[in-house]
Amino acid sequence: MSTKTIELMAPAGSFESLQAAIQGGANSVYFGVEQLNMRTKSTHNFVLDDLPEIVRICNENNLKSYLTLNTILYDHDISLMKRIVDSCKNTGVSAIIASDHAVMNYAKKIGQTIHISTQCNITNIDSVEFYANFANVMVLSRELSLLQVESINKEIKRREITGPSGQLVRTEIFGHGALCMAVSGKCYLSLHSNFSSANRGACVQNCRKSYIVTDKDTGYELEVDNEYIMSAKDLCTIDFLDKIIASGISVLKIEGRGRSADYVNITTKCYREAIDSIQEGEYTREKVSDWKERLATVFNRGFWDGYYLGKLMGEWNDSYGSKATTRKVYVAKGKKYYDEANVGEFLMEAQDLKIGDEICITGPTTGVLFTKIHELRVDNKPVLQVKKGTEFTFITPEKVRPSDKLYKIIEA
Amino acid sequence: MVRITQLRAKCIGCNACVEADKYRWRISKKDGKSTLIGGIEKKGWFSTLVDDHELEASLLARQHCPVNIIQVENLT
Repeated sequence: MSTKTIELMAPAGSFESLQAAIQGGANSVYFGVEQLNMRTKSTHNFVLDDLPEIVRICNENNLKSYLTLNTILYDHDISLMKRIVDSCKNTGVSAIIASDHAVMNYAKKIGQTIHISTQCNITNIDSVEFYANFANVMVLSRELSLLQVESINKEIKRREITGPSGQLVRTEIFGHGALCMAVSGKCYLSLHSNFSSANRGACVQNCRKSYIVTDKDTGYELEVDNEYIMSAKDLCTIDFLDKIIASGISVLKIEGRGRSADYVNITTKCYREAIDSIQEGEYTREKVSDWKERLATVFNRGFWDGYYLGKLMGEWNDSYGSKATTRKVYVAKGKKYYDEANVGEFLMEAQDLKIGDEICITGPTTGVLFTKIHELRVDNKPVLQVKKGTEFTFITPEKVRPSDKLYKIIEA
Repeated sequence: MVRITQLRAKCIGCNACVEADKYRWRISKKDGKSTLIGGIEKKGWFSTLVDDHELEASLLARQHCPVNIIQVENLT
């Protein structure tokens, strides 16, 4: 089995996450600009003016850059959509991840490469054939089983379905991250309850909450079995990634543009190692268990296999929020870095820090840096602990910057 | 009088405010965001004073805005 063509795609909701994806070993990143992407409300969004810088960073690090432009579009969005597509063409964005036909049509007109978003819900080979008129890469529906994915991939070869590039169409699937109760994310709940359309990137996540059912006649209330009945656990495929790759996909995507840089870093690293291990024939149960342990340290709602293995549905979350085994607490901000001594200076803004603490430093250029405190200095004198309001220094394994934030990692 | 204020940069162009009060809000075809008609910009916030009879529709626009960027103050 060859995994040379497997592309690992990581989410980049911010410059920090972009760096984290690079450090994690991603082959490509996806991100949104302005308001026409599916994380408009939930995350910091890049603006059009950020595009050249994002593309520059991606090119410098040999990463492909994909811009998500996959909300539903109204007439009044067309002008902005065209400006975004034009900017992608001008700055050299590798592809646009599109779901609306208006985007596909315009991108085709001006010669901008697109991928078909999972929002298009591709579940059969004839749909692949249709979208091959527009795209070389398509994200298959998250609700397919691996058998169905494999069958589509075989059929692409048998029918020789080629995209605009003349090459066989490549398929992409989600490998890790949040799943939602709606088919391919097409959910109406948020619009219904809050006038806040999930399909315009403004999901209020009704499905992640717990509910009480009330008997209208008696007023009797029943909490639904302590289950968050609409809140799916997070997808995790690292323990059957060999089967995923064997299904013939070309791109493995990690979900999480709304999640933090440390999540991006750790998930990307784990999947990078897993893909490499499979390629080198060293994919073992021990490694899988280590990866799963590491994946559990960052935001997650508990893990399940998704729909890929064709098992019984019903892997619902039983609590609100993250099940991460660790969490990070903000403690200090960056002040200065002394190049020659490899020493970073920080200002403690909350709580305290002591020798032996595990920490994480994040920043738009630094990305994510995990390390442990071995020595702390205040006024260049060694101390055991630093309190709030104190400026302090310590040796960092890599360069840190004034724009960085320092977090203490504690058990959740 | 009623003061309507909008943090325009955060608008996601969903059209909800226009549906609620099409005489006060219009979606810009240039950038797809909602424009407060008569609004004067100060540090990213657009603001205008309107007559009392617009209060009800303005409150509806505020209520329907999914990103909560509209403020309505009844100054009367």
